[in-house]
Amino acid sequence: MESRIIAEKVCKQYRPTSKGRSARQHAWALHDVSFSVAPGEMFGVVGANGAGKSTLLRLLGGVGRPSTGSIRVAGRIGALLDLAGGFLGDLTGRENAVLAGVVAGLLKREIEARMDQIVAFAELEEFIDEPVRTYSTGMMMRLAFSVAVHTDPEVLLVDEFLSVGDLAFQAKCHARIRALRDGGCAIVMVSHGMEQVRQLCDRVLWLRSGEVAALGTAEVVAGLYETEMREETLRRTPDGPKRTSGGLDLVPRENRFGTFEVELDSVVFHPGDMIFSGDALGVTLCYHAKVPVNSPVFAVSISKKDGTPCLDTNTHMARVEVPDLREKGERREIRFEIDRLELAAGNYFLDVGIFESDWKHAYDYHWHAYPFTVEGAPAHKGLLAPPCRWQFGGGKGT
Amino acid sequence: MSFEQTTLDHPQASSSARKWRHGWDVLTVLTRRDIKAQYKRSFLGFGWALGGPLLQVIVFSTIFKDALGTQVHSYPCYVFVGVLVWGWFQSSLGGSVSLITGNFALARQPRFPLAMLPFVTVNVRFLHMAIALPLMFILLWCNGIYPTVAWLALPGLAVIQYLLCVGLAYPLASLNVLHRDTQHIVSVLLQLMMFVTPIFYRIEVVPEAMRNWFYLNPMVSMVAAWRSVLLDGVWPEAQPLWILGGIGLFFLVLGRKMFIAQSHRFVEEM
Repeated sequence: MESRIIAEKVCKQYRPTSKGRSARQHAWALHDVSFSVAPGEMFGVVGANGAGKSTLLRLLGGVGRPSTGSIRVAGRIGALLDLAGGFLGDLTGRENAVLAGVVAGLLKREIEARMDQIVAFAELEEFIDEPVRTYSTGMMMRLAFSVAVHTDPEVLLVDEFLSVGDLAFQAKCHARIRALRDGGCAIVMVSHGMEQVRQLCDRVLWLRSGEVAALGTAEVVAGLYETEMREETLRRTPDGPKRTSGGLDLVPRENRFGTFEVELDSVVFHPGDMIFSGDALGVTLCYHAKVPVNSPVFAVSISKKDGTPCLDTNTHMARVEVPDLREKGERREIRFEIDRLELAAGNYFLDVGIFESDWKHAYDYHWHAYPFTVEGAPAHKGLLAPPCRWQFGGGKGT
Repeated sequence: MSFEQTTLDHPQASSSARKWRHGWDVLTVLTRRDIKAQYKRSFLGFGWALGGPLLQVIVFSTIFKDALGTQVHSYPCYVFVGVLVWGWFQSSLGGSVSLITGNFALARQPRFPLAMLPFVTVNVRFLHMAIALPLMFILLWCNGIYPTVAWLALPGLAVIQYLLCVGLAYPLASLNVLHRDTQHIVSVLLQLMMFVTPIFYRIEVVPEAMRNWFYLNPMVSMVAAWRSVLLDGVWPEAQPLWILGGIGLFFLVLGRKMFIAQSHRFVEEM
């Protein structure tokens, strides 16, 4: 089948808005970007902030034109860009849904015919005739998402839709997006999560400062993107003196990586660096910023000496709202708690890191610097040592 | 430098009947949105559309009656017609300046017909005026002014003023995206224009030498036409109305074309 979207050598250059910015005059928002998306294809776009992802989505939607090159989009365009952005608080959910549907290109009678489906999908049956200002953010997003996916788009432009609602609703959104794709809708999705890209996308375009860094299958491009993140960190790590922050000596480029724009001052274990299997373990990270940064990502992982990962989590994955760091030098703390650490007895390392909000690079990553010991009866091999027992059963009748 | 958006394989979307139908739906739904949003949480609700002009009329007819109104028959009616007609014009243009800048969510929507927005604004302001019309008719009745056959010209006058407002709204809205000074300039100009429009005085008060300059203001002839129909019960002078209608149509066609040609730049300029 013919492609739904064909972008050929698309370049975009913004006109400088003020006279004093001549230096940036020649910056390309997009430069020589070509790709095509077939019906039923899910096309991912990844890249750091400011790499041109939003510009690309906007041009695909026809809101703005490329400076040179051409974009052809066939079919009705649906967009999940700025969910609930056009909602009016004083109107009811139903009125807003009609409004959003008409704005998205449906006729009034078409949207009204679908209203029951839309309301049912958004799970808002009881609230649909209440003013939207009484809704929670989640409810508004659900309604907006529901309207957008019920407009029968043939091309869908998505800007990180998966932050909509709770996990159950996200699963529903996933399913709906897949159903649209299977129905022949071409989907372009901007994403930051490489896991999400691997799961959902067929092909991925990676933009780096407006240029195509890679274009290929999701697995390959996501892998490349992550590798570059690590290399970028290594490249940016400055030389510096050894220091310690409660664990082993920290040596830049050896077990400490990052730009050090945000620094980890200390890492403290509670109750201590020797616990019994199944006990609680808390870790307090003290940090300060040397320059103002937007909400960084905190990551904590536990691994064995040979590098086998036992636990790996971060504030991004856990959807924790991390405040921006505006005040230079202000010391702050974040605490990570594990209720029951049911690891087999042995020696482990805690790796901690603070990353740029888009995972572009690390600010400060301490690798294998904080050893701790888990004590327990050596009743089994393997990683886990949860409470377990053997019990005999059956054979009573004989 | 080509840019195409084909809708060929979606016959429904490309049919022009559907396009018109959708344009109509956009107009009605957005008009209703704006009206509702404005009055939903106020105690007096639509009463405000009456209260504003009424208050102005009371103020003008008490303060200026002796100074300016002595030669005018039923001065409150005279002022009320002026206030309503001018109010529609002023609020339409005042509102159209921030059409795009105040509707960012709509401007971002792929393929949204932004060119419908001036119609929405002028519609909403027209409805505001329409709410106050019954009160005006009652006031006329009380002052012994009754409908004549010339009142058949009223819809025509409304159409001409509508064209004029929409036509001027296009360039103002697109200009304000690029230069935010527009909104300030327009609000100052409108205030100035109000004083050079005979709302609470008669054009005859203006010295003869300056009077011709006053006719550069389109609202001078417009207000005069409404008054000659409503107050004197005679057909309005045709020539100025043809000119105004022509200007309105000219701006509507040309301004709309320019607006659409510019519209791809709106979002990135904001």
